[in-house]
Amino acid sequence: MSDHLEEMLRGTLGHASELAPRAPSTLSAHIMRRSRVRRMRAQALVAAAAVVVIAGGAAVAVRGAGHDPTAVTPTVTPSPTATEMRIPASVEEVWPEAVRKIPAKLPGGRKFQPRGFVDDHTLLLETWESFEKADAIYAYDLDSGRIRKITSIRTPKGVYASGYAVGGGRIVWQTIDVVHGKPVTSFWSAPVTGGKVTAIATERVVRGRGDRLAVVGDTLAFSLLEGGVFTVPLDGGAVEPVAGAAGHHILRWPWVGAPGEYTPEGETSFQELLNAETGETSRAVVHPGEEYVRCGVTTCSGTKADRTAFYRLRDGSQERPLPEKSSLFGLARDRFLTVRLPNPPGGQALYDVVTGKSGDLGLRPNAKGQSIAVEAGLGDGRLVAYPLGNEYVIIDLAKIR
Amino acid sequence: MDDDSRFADFVAARADALLRYGYVLSGDPHDAADLTQEALLRLHRAWSRVCGKDNPESYTRRIMARLHISVWRRRRRERLFWELPDQASPGTLPSETEQDLWQALKGLPRKQRAVIVLRYYEQLTDAEIATVLGVSRGTVRSHASLGLSKLRSSLPHPTATGGSAS
Repeated sequence: MSDHLEEMLRGTLGHASELAPRAPSTLSAHIMRRSRVRRMRAQALVAAAAVVVIAGGAAVAVRGAGHDPTAVTPTVTPSPTATEMRIPASVEEVWPEAVRKIPAKLPGGRKFQPRGFVDDHTLLLETWESFEKADAIYAYDLDSGRIRKITSIRTPKGVYASGYAVGGGRIVWQTIDVVHGKPVTSFWSAPVTGGKVTAIATERVVRGRGDRLAVVGDTLAFSLLEGGVFTVPLDGGAVEPVAGAAGHHILRWPWVGAPGEYTPEGETSFQELLNAETGETSRAVVHPGEEYVRCGVTTCSGTKADRTAFYRLRDGSQERPLPEKSSLFGLARDRFLTVRLPNPPGGQALYDVVTGKSGDLGLRPNAKGQSIAVEAGLGDGRLVAYPLGNEYVIIDLAKIR
Repeated sequence: MDDDSRFADFVAARADALLRYGYVLSGDPHDAADLTQEALLRLHRAWSRVCGKDNPESYTRRIMARLHISVWRRRRRERLFWELPDQASPGTLPSETEQDLWQALKGLPRKQRAVIVLRYYEQLTDAEIATVLGVSRGTVRSHASLGLSKLRSSLPHPTATGGSAS
């Protein structure tokens, strides 16, 4: 009996294999290009033996160097004009108006992850049920130190809340599930003042993986990792594509662009920009031989053919060198990035290209040479947060003038 | 010949076979492409080492099998290089019995399915399967037996497994 089943399995699997998709002729070229970008991005990590990269406020664990393309940093060689940064004063001394330290655990001892700002003095915190799986969000008042639970979050196994955005008195976020083998994104909201989670009902299923959300008046705007910017009323309803934004991603509303932050083959991120409200467009200038170019609303940064790092305006003007060992994940708010400090003592500084000021983040490698790495450019453009001893350091980039 | 042209030759010669393997392993064309792409990326990274002491194809197939049963696939962030046709399956299997069996395979947990595919598609022994998946031979046997009995019970046409129907 089982012999027949085994025979049938051989036949069925053999016949089914003939229904497999075919490889495109360009496959090996794509693989080699993407593999090279991964290797470059992994180099700094291998050298630093870093274990966790903090993307603005969000920790990204690195599971094996190079396997997560968003979590590693390309290296920069010394430039004739750039100099290695000396150890600056601490960030709280340099920017007292923007830096706060809060206890690293909630009353009761639970750990949390800062996710963004609810308003000028309130931080949005997330607690985890398991790795990266949120089970609740909280509002933390930076002035009074008071903490308030906003709501509990329940997601199915393997589904994670992400992409928090705030507006119209609500916190919104997304979850990405896989239905019939394909990703589907759902949106949720809760009142900032606290209360139940409600689904933002969409008239049709949103196919694809949400990458960034923005609340605009009574509308939720979102973009997909696969490309495309859409809006849906916060109360639910029809999902409408933003005209002219097919293949685009939200950078900072109303600015959307292409390609997005995800550039596996080293493409220039946000080279094309579109103002979703006015229709204004911009194409950033990139010269032959430049690599890892990442653009924001007004500036771009990257490396030149000689591997030295630069930043300049999108139109190509006002180019300046970046310090040695600058991170190459772009500039947060078009002006801030992290720079690795000489080792010893190691660690990183936050650097402001507008004023030339820099502040020591205070991070130092442990006895094994491991440390966390902070990537300001990968965050929401405002929050930089990282654990330091028994505290969390919270930097509000919007408060630096 | 340099490493890159040898790699390109390998991909040109073997990518379709790897996609076929990925397809029977996962039962889904997107997953097949995803597994093949990621395994080839990792192969490229290890190319000179793998060519020195291993067979690149068996190395890639081993990575695909392990990726398929790992949690990696559920947290996937990479995009595919190429667009696949949007239909679930570009063709159909020759008999209703085979279609039923293909459907029944979809109901198996990943590890059971991987063991079945390695046994009946890759024609590997249980010892070889244990090496590929990095598990014990006892685990392979128990996954195989659970998988086979589940297939037998979920087939809608009991006669199909009884040796009298084709």
